[in-house]
Amino acid sequence: MSRALELAERAVGAAQGDEADASVHVESSGFARFADSAVHQPTLIRDESVTVRVVRGGRVGCATTNRTDGDGLAAAARRAGEAADRSPVDPGFPGLQPRADVPDVEGYDEATSSLSAEELAGSAAAAIEAAPGLGLYGYYTSATTELAVASSSGHAVSQATTDASVLALAASDEASGYAEATSWRAGDLDPAAVAAEAAEKAERTRDAGEVEPATYRAVLEPYAISELLFYFGFTSLNALAWLEGRSYLSGRLGERLFHESFTLWDDGRDPRGYPKAFDLEGVPKQRVLLVEEGVARDVVWDRRTAKQAGDGRASTGHGLSAPAQGFGPIPFNLSMAGGDAATVDGLVELAGEGIYVTRLHYLGVVDPREGIITGMTRDGTFRIEGGRVTTPLVNLRFTTSFPALVAGLLGLTEDVTLVNRSDFYDERYPFGTLVPAVATDSFTIVGTGSGPGL
Amino acid sequence: MGAPFHFFSVAFRLVSNLRRAVDDLAQHALDAATAAGAGYADARVVRRRAQHVATKNGEVDTVSDAETEGIGVRVLVDGAWGFAGDPRLSEEGARDAALRAVSFARASASRARQRVVLAPLEPAGGDYEAPLERDPVEVPLEEKIALCLAAEEGMRRPEVKITEAMVRAMREDRVFRSSDGARASQRFVECGGGIDALAVSDDGRVQNRSYPSAHGGSSAQAGWEFVEGLELAREAERVGEEAAALLTADACPAAVTTIVVDAEQMVLQVHESVGHPTELDRVYGTEAAYAGTSFLKPDDLGSLRYGSEHMNVTADPTTPLGLGTFGWDDEGAPARRQPVVERGVLSGYLASRETSALLGRDLGGSMRADSWSRMPLVRMTNLHLEPGAGTLDDLLADVDEGLYLCTNKSWSIDDKRLNFQFGTQIAWEIKKGKLGRMLRDPTYTGVTPEFWGRLDAVAGLGEWRLFGLTNCGKGQPGQHAHVSHGTSPARFRDVQVGVRQ
Repeated sequence: MSRALELAERAVGAAQGDEADASVHVESSGFARFADSAVHQPTLIRDESVTVRVVRGGRVGCATTNRTDGDGLAAAARRAGEAADRSPVDPGFPGLQPRADVPDVEGYDEATSSLSAEELAGSAAAAIEAAPGLGLYGYYTSATTELAVASSSGHAVSQATTDASVLALAASDEASGYAEATSWRAGDLDPAAVAAEAAEKAERTRDAGEVEPATYRAVLEPYAISELLFYFGFTSLNALAWLEGRSYLSGRLGERLFHESFTLWDDGRDPRGYPKAFDLEGVPKQRVLLVEEGVARDVVWDRRTAKQAGDGRASTGHGLSAPAQGFGPIPFNLSMAGGDAATVDGLVELAGEGIYVTRLHYLGVVDPREGIITGMTRDGTFRIEGGRVTTPLVNLRFTTSFPALVAGLLGLTEDVTLVNRSDFYDERYPFGTLVPAVATDSFTIVGTGSGPGL
Repeated sequence: MGAPFHFFSVAFRLVSNLRRAVDDLAQHALDAATAAGAGYADARVVRRRAQHVATKNGEVDTVSDAETEGIGVRVLVDGAWGFAGDPRLSEEGARDAALRAVSFARASASRARQRVVLAPLEPAGGDYEAPLERDPVEVPLEEKIALCLAAEEGMRRPEVKITEAMVRAMREDRVFRSSDGARASQRFVECGGGIDALAVSDDGRVQNRSYPSAHGGSSAQAGWEFVEGLELAREAERVGEEAAALLTADACPAAVTTIVVDAEQMVLQVHESVGHPTELDRVYGTEAAYAGTSFLKPDDLGSLRYGSEHMNVTADPTTPLGLGTFGWDDEGAPARRQPVVERGVLSGYLASRETSALLGRDLGGSMRADSWSRMPLVRMTNLHLEPGAGTLDDLLADVDEGLYLCTNKSWSIDDKRLNFQFGTQIAWEIKKGKLGRMLRDPTYTGVTPEFWGRLDAVAGLGEWRLFGLTNCGKGQPGQHAHVSHGTSPARFRDVQVGVRQ
């Protein structure tokens, strides 16, 4: 039995109520963060966190602790019970996940799990050495995470996952380029190649020019489309937002909203991504078709929103742990279908004239209902002229409609890339999107910013 | 009289023993680190309990009650940093954290290009605890729920489909020791709250209003009396009415005009376009890959024209009620008030011992970590726009045509903190010094020093408010800082508004 499941079952055993469940997160992670070509913030973290939920007479209470000895778990179970007693009956509570099988998924790699601090520092050094002449900024990180959910209903599931990522910004005062890679197998990553890609791009960004605010054709690398897609997913592919009328898809399911080449799903079981067997309520992960050839088909669901919808809906396995369920269900494993372009250069040729975007910075959702997002381009923005990437551009402020962007798709690459979407706040939970590079006829620039570089 | 005296005597002895035990753990970690080769080491032992209660449409939405504890050990070995965190508050946990931090530092040191140097710091220490009347963590859950439900009530009307209210409470004990001899024992107690109304029209348009601040309300380092003082229920009716009215309001037009920005949105303006760019680690590029750098350079200090003469910004970790108020920061530097911008000229940075040494000036005192499991970073403490003179009405009176912008809705700023686009929940036209029609979806954009150069008035102390926010992100792995900003409404001329796709 995994450590996480052992803790979950002990926590449920300590709880007193009509029913109870516990979700557990066990983390061992390392971060070799570097700046100006030296590791400057190396961090090693171990932690265990247990959330106990107790149900008494329709009242629900929960408590979280990282004190995992008998006293700590008993105290958390007692606090959860007291919280239930002091709360009103929760009419929206959907009950605990009944006993169910979860899919077998990949996602754990022993070699990644056993990486030492020396090896993390060595991988960071390999990246740094591959970008001579420029400062390298970024990180190499890896982790082992165990997740488990157990309940008094007899449901008991656990999973061990690994993750590794390398991120490289190669930069001087006048130039900057970006690349990253992520996988649940550290062996898939080549830190030197990632750094070399960032450095090569940086060298092409010197003497950047400006463009006038307007709506342009654009080619977006996977790093850029991934970030836009995740923001759109968080605000619009979430059943709670959909039920409350905040989602772009509210009242629009079944309509052709996007280009027919845009097909989107969420699949936690896909071994190309960060596989998960179950969500943080213990519900088995399902593949959910969200957009089919431009037609909006569905959003993702957790147990509470499924009950709220009241039309026979069931959770699709996208729930958060009990204390975080106010955010609604989250599509952590978004996957876009690829297209016909063999290379990104093929997309540039399709676009003909426009803007090439490597990466985005600091997105803000201006209008979630209309899917309007603002942000800056960064670390590799270029002009596209005559079907070729030509001169570098300064960082551009865009305020653009994501729905319009994917309604105006001109093409997508065949290959899709896993792009990490975790910023590693709070507990480690690796996730990312599988996306191609895309070309679109609708990317709206509203201003210009500073040039590339530090 | 005997029983209570006995109770307090026993309680005091328990607290003293606990503090001594925690202090011993920190010392144990330092001993293990220095014995393993660390030239410098510090240790933080942290115990935190955090509660969050939210109601939505008259029902309980979230009740969380989380505790976490652990030790974080930071070391310098051969001039290279290492950090490790362990949840076990035992000698074994402290020693393991220390040895793991040393091993990571040693692995990094072998490839380091230059040694980290720390600015000197006089060993100091003591106890810190902010005054409070009622510990918010001990307020019964049913009282918190009742407050939220009562606050929601007034927002209800047909157009308002979602009403939400939330309160939070946190208590954290933190013991710090360093091999330089610093030692501090601090208790931080925070609480806060807020309300939100979301209105949805029949044809699917959506608008929202919040009080006292968007994105989680406002918090302070204070007792429960602070939450009661927010008077959420009193403001609820206005919040609901404005959310509903926005559904039929005209859209903010595109124009270059005069704007008066309310105190709450000025918090965001100060935070994003003054706070982050003046973090000295960003100036030196440490955050380049994630949060970004700064348009400021080290030698801009004392000479760079940041804004107009009306612009005065101060970092003050001694502000009563501030979320960034402490006795000592997370590397043992004592709290001190420092100017950041004086009469429009850059006059200070937020700094650490390491970045102070690089700059050659002691500006340290802004190192903060969001938990025992994170390495301290240069963070804002409490960063204030100093008040000017007059009232909000005085600011409005001198506007022939313009906009009054209130309550943040969206924000984005570039990696050097120059080009920004911010949106607010609501605006009102200003015509000949008076507020006119309500406008929806207002946005404004600018470039930091140009924008601040257009500042021509800041309202006075009577309009100055302290807001506390808990969602300031930075670092890899990520950290959330809790910071406060004191601001008054401010007026800017010739600003581009109405930016929308």
